[in-house]
Formats: sequence, C-alpha cells, structure tokens
Amino acid sequence: MTKGAVTVVLVLVAFGLALVATGASGQDGTTADGTTADGTTADGTTADATTAAPSNDENVLRIGWAQDPDTLNPFVGQNEEDYTVWALNWDLPINFSPKTLGPAPGIAESWEVSDDRKTVTMKLAPDMKWSDGKPITSKDVKWSLDELGGHGVLFAGYTSSITRIETPDPETVVIHTKRPDARVIGGLFVYVLPEHIWGKVPLKQLKGQYQPDLPIVGSGPYVVTEYERRKIITMERNPNWRGEPGAYDKVQFIKYGNQDAVERALDLGEIDLVREVESSSYARLGEQDNVSTRRSQTPAYTQLSFNMCPERLCPDAQFNPAVQDRTVRQAIAYAVDRNKLNEIATRGTSFVANGILPSYYKSFYETPEQTYPYDPDQANQMLDDAGWELNDDGVREKNGETLSFDLYVRSESPFTVQMAKLIAEMTQDIGVEFNVQVVSTDKLYDLTVRSENGKPAPDFDTFIWGWGGDPYDPSFLLSILTTGEIGGSSDSFYSNAEYDKLYREQTGIFDTEERKAVIQRMVAITQRDLPYLVLTEDPQLQAYRTDRIQAIKPVCPEETGDLFCDQVSYDGVLALEPVAGASSGETGSGNAGLAGLIGLIVGFVGGVIVTRMRSRGQNEPLEIPE
Amino acid sequence: MSAGTITAATGGSGASGASGVRTLLFGTWRGRFGIGVLALTIFVAIFGELLAPYDPTASSTDVLQSPSWSHILGTTENGSDVFSQLLVGTRVSVIVGFAAALISAVLGSIVGLAGGYFGGWTDRILDATENWFLVIPTLPLMIVLARVLNPSLTVLIAVIGLTSWAGTGRIVRAQVLTLRERAFVERARALGAGDTYIIRTHILPNTLPLIFANTVLIVAVAILSEAALAFLGLGDPTQISWGTMLENAFSSGAPSAGAWWYVVPPGLCITILVLAVSMLGFLFEEYINPRLREVA
Amino acid sequence: MTGRWLFTKVGAAVLTLIFVLIFNFFLFRAIGDPTTQLARLPGATDKEIEQLKSDYGLDKPLLGQFADYVGDTATLDLGISQNTREPVWEEIKDALPWTLLLVGTGTLLATLIGAWMGVKAATKRGTKTDDGLLGFSLFTYAAPEYWIGIILILLFAVAWPIFPAGQQVTPGVEFASWFDEALDVVDHLVLPATAMTLMLLGQYFLIMRSSMVDVLTEDFITVKRATGLSRERVINRHAVPNALLPLVTLSAIQFGAVAGGAITIETVFSWPGLGELSFNAINDKDFPMLQGTFLVFSVGVIFANLLADILYFYLDPRVQSR
Repeated sequence: MTKGAVTVVLVLVAFGLALVATGASGQDGTTADGTTADGTTADGTTADATTAAPSNDENVLRIGWAQDPDTLNPFVGQNEEDYTVWALNWDLPINFSPKTLGPAPGIAESWEVSDDRKTVTMKLAPDMKWSDGKPITSKDVKWSLDELGGHGVLFAGYTSSITRIETPDPETVVIHTKRPDARVIGGLFVYVLPEHIWGKVPLKQLKGQYQPDLPIVGSGPYVVTEYERRKIITMERNPNWRGEPGAYDKVQFIKYGNQDAVERALDLGEIDLVREVESSSYARLGEQDNVSTRRSQTPAYTQLSFNMCPERLCPDAQFNPAVQDRTVRQAIAYAVDRNKLNEIATRGTSFVANGILPSYYKSFYETPEQTYPYDPDQANQMLDDAGWELNDDGVREKNGETLSFDLYVRSESPFTVQMAKLIAEMTQDIGVEFNVQVVSTDKLYDLTVRSENGKPAPDFDTFIWGWGGDPYDPSFLLSILTTGEIGGSSDSFYSNAEYDKLYREQTGIFDTEERKAVIQRMVAITQRDLPYLVLTEDPQLQAYRTDRIQAIKPVCPEETGDLFCDQVSYDGVLALEPVAGASSGETGSGNAGLAGLIGLIVGFVGGVIVTRMRSRGQNEPLEIPE
Repeated sequence: MSAGTITAATGGSGASGASGVRTLLFGTWRGRFGIGVLALTIFVAIFGELLAPYDPTASSTDVLQSPSWSHILGTTENGSDVFSQLLVGTRVSVIVGFAAALISAVLGSIVGLAGGYFGGWTDRILDATENWFLVIPTLPLMIVLARVLNPSLTVLIAVIGLTSWAGTGRIVRAQVLTLRERAFVERARALGAGDTYIIRTHILPNTLPLIFANTVLIVAVAILSEAALAFLGLGDPTQISWGTMLENAFSSGAPSAGAWWYVVPPGLCITILVLAVSMLGFLFEEYINPRLREVA
Repeated sequence: MTGRWLFTKVGAAVLTLIFVLIFNFFLFRAIGDPTTQLARLPGATDKEIEQLKSDYGLDKPLLGQFADYVGDTATLDLGISQNTREPVWEEIKDALPWTLLLVGTGTLLATLIGAWMGVKAATKRGTKTDDGLLGFSLFTYAAPEYWIGIILILLFAVAWPIFPAGQQVTPGVEFASWFDEALDVVDHLVLPATAMTLMLLGQYFLIMRSSMVDVLTEDFITVKRATGLSRERVINRHAVPNALLPLVTLSAIQFGAVAGGAITIETVFSWPGLGELSFNAINDKDFPMLQGTFLVFSVGVIFANLLADILYFYLDPRVQSR
C-alpha cells in the first residue's frame, strides 16, 4: 500500500503545484473592476456568488474577437486588428468624419492649402493635452509624420510626397510636398504619437521589441490600460479627452480561441459586440433573439488578376501569352457571373463589384459604363469573331496558343477557393480552361515577386487575391495598377501611360468633383483593359446584442456604415449607448455544471461508502482464474 | 501503443500455417469485425467518388443544414454534402495509413535487422537513434516537420513514416538478437554461410510475421496521426480527409451551430477504422505469440 | 551501485536532450535562411536584411551558430517570436502551468478511474462487466481525443449549456477572492480534463487489468486466501498494490502521447497552454515559437521518463534486491 500511495501522493503534489502556479500566473496588472450580476442557471436556481458583486455601475463595452493584436506598437504592428485599438487611442492630424468620411478636425482643428497646392498649413487647437497631462503640440505632429510615417510598417507611404515639415510655433504645422498631394488633407493615415515618450526611444528599438508603457498615452477618448496578449485589452477613459465623453466607461476587447467561440460568447452574453462575423454564420446569428446583425461596405475587394507584364519590363516572366489578349480577358469577364459568385461563395454577404474603385468611396464612385453583365453568348461571339476556335478538348485555340490558364488561389481563404472553382466551371461554357491550383499564401507571394537578373519575372497566368484601401482617399487602391508600383505593390504588372498620368493628376486635386471626374476616367481605362476582373467587394459583417446596446446608428459614413466606425474613427464608439440596467458579465450558466458535477461526485462517493459498509463482513469465495 | 510493450519473447511460430490464420480471422468476432470494416473501407476508398451522391467540393447555399432526404448527413459550412465528403475522404486515410505504415515498417526493419545482427557500434548508434525516436513526443515532432516542409500528401506520408518506425525497430532488433544465438544460425555460420544468406533464409522468415503484426498496428497509429495533423491545419489543403472535415467543422463554427451531423461522422469513421485495424493487429500478435492469447 | 545506475540514466537523458537541440537547430537552418520570412515584410531593404542576419548571428560559421544556440537555450533565451516580437520563453513560461494543470488532472483521473476499472474487469473476468469495460476502453483509445472534445462541447456547452466551451476563466471578470477564481478555473477545466482523461483511460485500464490478472494467479494470493482473508481484503490490500507497478512505467510511456493530446485538446478548448501556443505557431508559421514549444515538450517528456525510471527503481521490490 505504501508504494502505491507514494505514487499517488507524488502526482497529487505535482497537481497541487500546478494549481497554485496557475493561480499565480493568472491576471496580472488588472486595473479593472468589472460589474457582474448573479445570473440564473439552466435549471432556474440562482448561481452562487463566484463573481464580484455589482459595484459602481460601470458601463463596459465588451467586444470579442478571434484574432488579437500581436503588438500595440504601430512601428511594427501588422494585423488589421491593431487599428481597432489604435483608432480609439490616438488621433490623426486630420480625422475622418463619421458622417461622410471626409476630412474632419483631428489634432489640427483647421487647415489651409496654398495656391500652388504644395503647402498645407495646419492649425492645432490651443490647450490640447495628452492623457498624461502634457500639451499636444506641433512637435508631436512633425515627429509622428517623420518617424512613424517614415518607418512604420503599415504607415510608410502616406508621407511619400512630403519634402519638409516646419513647426513655426507649437500650434502650427506647415507641410511642404513636392507635388500637390490631396492625401495630406484627406488621407494622412499616420497617428499622432506623443513625441515626449516615443521620441525618447531609439529608432532601432521602436522597430524592434519596444512595447509602450501602460496606460498608452494618447489623445483619443480611451486609452489602453491593460494589455494581455491573447487574453484581453482594456481601454479606459482618457482624463484629458477634449470632446464629449461617451456613455461607456470602459471598452474591452476579449480574445477567444476561434471564431466559433466568439459567436458562442455573443450567444451567451459574455460579449456585447462582434466586429467580424463569418459569412457562414451571419444568417444564423441574425435569426437569434437579442442579436442584431449589420452588413456594411468596406474599401476592400476580391479580384481575379491577370499577368499583364510587358516584355520590356519582365523579359523572363512565365505565363501563357494569351492572357495578355484583351479580347480574351473581356470575354472572360462576360462569362463570369459575379452575382452567382457572391451568392454561393460568400452566401450573398458580399457586394457585387464593378471595377477597381469600390462603391464604398461615395465621394468618388459612379457605376462604370462598362460593367460586363453576365452574358456568355456575347463572350462566345467575341471569341469566335477573334478567330479562337474550339479544339477537341473543348478549349479554344488560335495560332498555337490555347486558352488554358493556371488559376492560383490561396488555401488560407476558402471562399476564394470556391470562387476559383466556380469561375473554372463558368468559363468552360466559352471554351476557356482554368486549372485551379490551391497554394499557400507564401507560395503565391513567391510566384508574384519572382525576379530574374534584377527584373521582375512573375510566374503565373491568373490568381485570385484581394486588396483593402484607405477610408477616404482612394489613392492607394488606384496606385497598385501604376507602372511605378511594378516591383512594389503591383501584382498585375499593368503598365499604361495614360493611367499613370491620370493617377498623378488626381493625387493633386483637392476639389472632390474635379477629382472624381479624373478617377472615373481611370476606372474606364481599367474596365477596358481588365488587368483585374474585380469580383466582389468585401463586406463588414458585425453583430451585437440588442439587450446590451441601444439602437445603433450606422456611421462612417452615415446610414451605410458599420456599427462603430471600426478602425477609422472613435466617433462611432462615442455614439454607442448601453441599454439601461443591462449588466455585462457571465450569465452564471457555468455554475450549474459545477454544482451538478459536485453533486454527482458526492453521490458517487456516498454510494460507494454505503455499499462497502453493507458488504463488510461478507465472505464470498474469491474466484481465482486458472 | 502496445506495439512497444508487447515483447518478441520467444519467436518461432505459434499455431500452424494458413488454417490457423483463417480461424483467427473469420472464427472470432474480432476478426470478422476487423476484416469486414477493412474490406468496406478499402472498397469505399477505391470507389468513393463514384458512390458519392454529390461532388464533395460543390458548394451550395444550403449551409449547415441538418440531415434531410436530399442530404442524408446534412451539409457543411459551404453547403457541400457531408456524406459525399465522408466517402471521398476515406481514400486519404487509407492511403496515408498504409503508405506511412509501410515506410515505417521498412525503415524499422532495416534498422532493427542491421543493429541486431551486426551488433557493435552499428547497433549502439542505431539503438540510440531508436531510443531517441521512442522518447521524443511524436505529435510535436510530426508537427514541426510538417510545418517546415509545406504540407501535402507526400509530406504527410513521409513525416508519419519517418517518426513511427522506432517501435518496429525495437521489436525486430529484439527478435534478431535472440535468433542470432540460436543453434541453426550457428550451424549455418559454421558451414560457411555468409551474412546475406543467413539473414535471408533464417532471420527474415522468422521475423516477418512479427513485423507484419506490428505494422498493422502502426497503420492504426498512422491513421490517427494523419487525422490529428489535418485537424491542426497541416493536412493537404487540396484533399478532403476525415481529419480535414473535422478541421473545417471546428473552425467554421459547427459546434456552436450544433451541427452534430458534420462533427460526429468523420470522427466515428476514424474510430471504427482504427478499432478494426487494431483488432486485426492484436489478433495477429496473438497468433504469433500464443502466450498472449490467455491474457487478452 | 545505485549511483552508477543513476548516472547512466541521467546521462542518457542529457544525451537525448542534446540530440533534440541538434535536431531543432538543423531543421530550421535546413529550410533556408530564417530571415526570408522577415524579408517578406514590405519595405525590407537589402541593407536591413543584412543587418538582421548579423543580429541573428547568421553570418557566423555553422558550428559557431550551434554553440550560440546551445548557450542561449541554457540561459532560457529561446529566441523571439516572429509574430509577437516577445521572447519565446516568456510566453512558454506563462502557458506551461496551464498545460500542467490540464495534463496533471487528466493523468490523475485516468490513473484512478482506469485502475479502478481494471480491477473490476480483472476480478469479473469473462463477464459482461469485463466485456463492457473492455469495449468502452477500446473505443476511447481509438477515438481521436479532439473529436471527443468537440462532442463534449456539443453536448455540455451547446445542447445543454452547463459548462463553458473554452478558455480557462470567464474573461474580463474580476473575482472576489482567490477561491472564487479557482472555482471558475475548475469550471472551465471540467470538459477539457474529461477529454484528456478519456483519451488516456484505455491504456491504464488494459495494463491494470492484465497486471491484476497476472497477480491474481500468483501463488501468494492463493496463500492469502487460504489463510481466511475476505475477498475484499485480498484484492485491495494485496493484489492491487502489486498490480499498480506497471502503471508507473506506463505513465512514462504515455507522456509522449500526452503531449500530443495536450496540443489538440487545448486547441479545441482554447486552453491557454503550450498546446495552444503550438497551434498558433503552426498557423502563423512562427518558427522560433515552434522550436521553443517542441523543445519544452521534449524536455518535459525526457524528464518525466527519467522520473518514472527512478520511481520504478525504488518501487519495484524485485529491482531493489539486485
């Protein structure tokens, strides 16, 4: 008995140690005290108080997600989730208006453009303070634009045309650009960081492992006070917030293991809002009581790219030359039913796309003249007229070229894999063959950036991928099809001198109507040439509990935007209101399980004891098997 | 599992010849179950695509529907037919299971033979390698290897095969060690027979049954390993397997949606196949080692 | 005598560990320059890549790099996670206790329940009880543990939502006392621990059962019986303890499987242990983290094996008399 006992004791000790260790390593640095209520359990009994009693009625907005930021340092952060937190913590020099997404006061309360449009003078509001009490000055703006705009992974590029920034006084910032650049007003997406903190850290560290101290000093309505990676991010009110305070005292972002768990948490009431819902659960969530869903547009799309690299730029590129035949691409466009793609691959949650400028850009968008409505007859006609004849395998041929193309698609994105397969099915009807190749993102990336002898040499015919643009200024999305981006972000390797010229022109036009006209001409060119066949515009799918958050007014832009202006502006969160009397916290359903389990164990042990007592003194013969 | 704990004690064959095998396979309910399931599985693996009522990758708008007359096991998060996926997915489990087990068997046998027969430093090094593979946790090792070499069917087979051979190796080595000292081997050597001859005519025939029985058990391990790797996202992205079905179900929210028809069948298939193969493996082991028959 | 034996065992363990290091080191060098992943970052200039290379010490000869690697590992510098830019060891350190908790609970319960089942089955050999228990154990052995985990979620967190479906605590809640928090953890531990227990159960059961059967047939049991001891007494006081021994060695063999089970079960339940770290590293292709978790798992298993060997040595009367 002793030896067996030793083993058991050893295991128990190890187990006990582990318990203690987990207790110790649990929540550290929590400054929050949450409000929790006693919930009723599944069988109606009140849960025991394993949660803190409701304290001073704090309003906490709890948002759940399956991916959390790896870091909150904007110099190295690369996840899109980072923006959700940054957008609440900091301002831009000029913010985006929640109504129109156009320019609105940020750190700068007013601005002036010079006559030659190459100088922008920003005036800061007087007496602005950071959350730590230090004044916000032009020095902060200059430092942020120079350093974050110069070195931040996600921010480099916005300041590309800036030559010089002057700060004649603490409330004035003068920005000089080498050409007129409308982005300085409508799209300078570089957060203004406190120079007195970030400026003291060597650049090498900023781009390395630097993590800002908590609370993260900022100018937005909330600042990060707690950051436990893969667990929770808590933001609390900025004591020096200059605007109207929001209804919520705290905003919490809670990380769950996977999307499934997030949605379950919403069902259970552990969280109030989910900022990204999967297309496959969107419909189901919407049907639930107390849950409301929202589908809104984003500046992002999914496209079918063609290899357009001209010989002189990519002498060693590998692709089927037929892909550069414009008629072929146009025929393919007519043969792909984009409505059906949306219906099936994204379950109707996306928006059908018409061209390279998403309809999200209300100020600059217009439905193009040429939208390639689904018309396989037209497609067949065009190919017939051009002399492409069907061979024995049902694929068209001409002069030794066959309309058989590789179609690369990323395994990490199942809905694009589906789209690829659907496209391959559809184009069979016009004698075009797509060979769908499912590869990893890395592999596709390598194929597109492949180079030989210092020149790009992409190895693909077609692929499906996506892009996401900026909230207001469409320059980025338009830039990827310029010749200048070949070797950079251009993955179609399209090169058209007129398009390039128009691009440069529109970046310098500050007048919206004028700019829109130029942009429309650019769209028309690309609709004709089809370097991209843009398939769908990605939606923002969100869900929230109606018993926690009151009637939500969509913002960014007004009426068609999302629930809280995610990643773009903090105004959305400020407009949210909790339902009176709603408490955030666990519903107590878990305690039923524990109580039940304990009951079971007690019952079992009791039963064992009783049976043993009864059978004590019995002397049955022991069967010894031979 | 017990592949390692069952020692190759005395070697030499147990019951005699083919009739013994036949009684074991068809006479016991375990044998019948094992053979039955295996045969059915191989049949489905070959003809899966023909038997499937739908194209397993065909998507539709009927997302996560519970079983109905048109979809007897309901649909997936893409609206694909679960039953069709189940049928077509059989092939991967079978292929990976058998191929990996084969590689494992060959590798293990070579190592065990070489070490056991030649002894000396060869044995020391090979034995140490074997022990290393036995001690190292298998799934983490497979994960690391599979992640480094981007996943595909070939990679999976290679990774599983290269990490599961040690059990076979140990058994073979022990067997060879005992055989090496036996009288008939000594005699053969005395008569001037070379190593190759001895191995081929004396060692190998007495070891093969053991290898075979052990390999069958490795098939079970390989099937479980493929499923686990696929579940963790390291399966072949272009193939459907029971493991990838579980992975898709899990990551697309099937548990929350209560979609039991998507979750239960693939796991059940894995379980039943592994059970069947394991039982066959145990049967073969008993056949070879009659002493085991009493205990089981 | 014992000292020498101990020395050999420890030596073997250390050697195994060294090979793990060698394996880890060469594997990741084999896939090419670790900086290629970093080079994929937009805006990475050649100069920056060169700088990275020298920072990581990749411009040294291979042996030098390996020496660095061993030295670093010894001081618990397991590198920087590619994604979070945090030291790998920090994340592992935070995750480790949770895995121990899960694995410890599972092993403990599996041992107790499996042993109890084994005794029952052995003493009622050939009856329906025996067959039933055998069937149950075989099923849980063959079933993938993550599948069982998902089914537990389906049953007890979705259909009858009495247990939470993931994490280790209810997030964002502040607890009134240490005890309350512990209770919340236990609440979250039930389902994953059940999955782990079921996964390990079968083996313990089988070994205990066969070992009991062996013991029951031994002479000293007949003698005890003949002296008039009750059936209960003979089983519990004499048969069981001796049958318990192989369980110890089995625990050791199990550790490798336990590591695998930890990974998949933690993934299913979002349990923040080493397993979930590994899973995230797989998805993110975070190689330093993957290396780190593999190392820690291996060390854990090697160490556990060593411990079991030592335990076995002290517990086995036959070994001691040598």
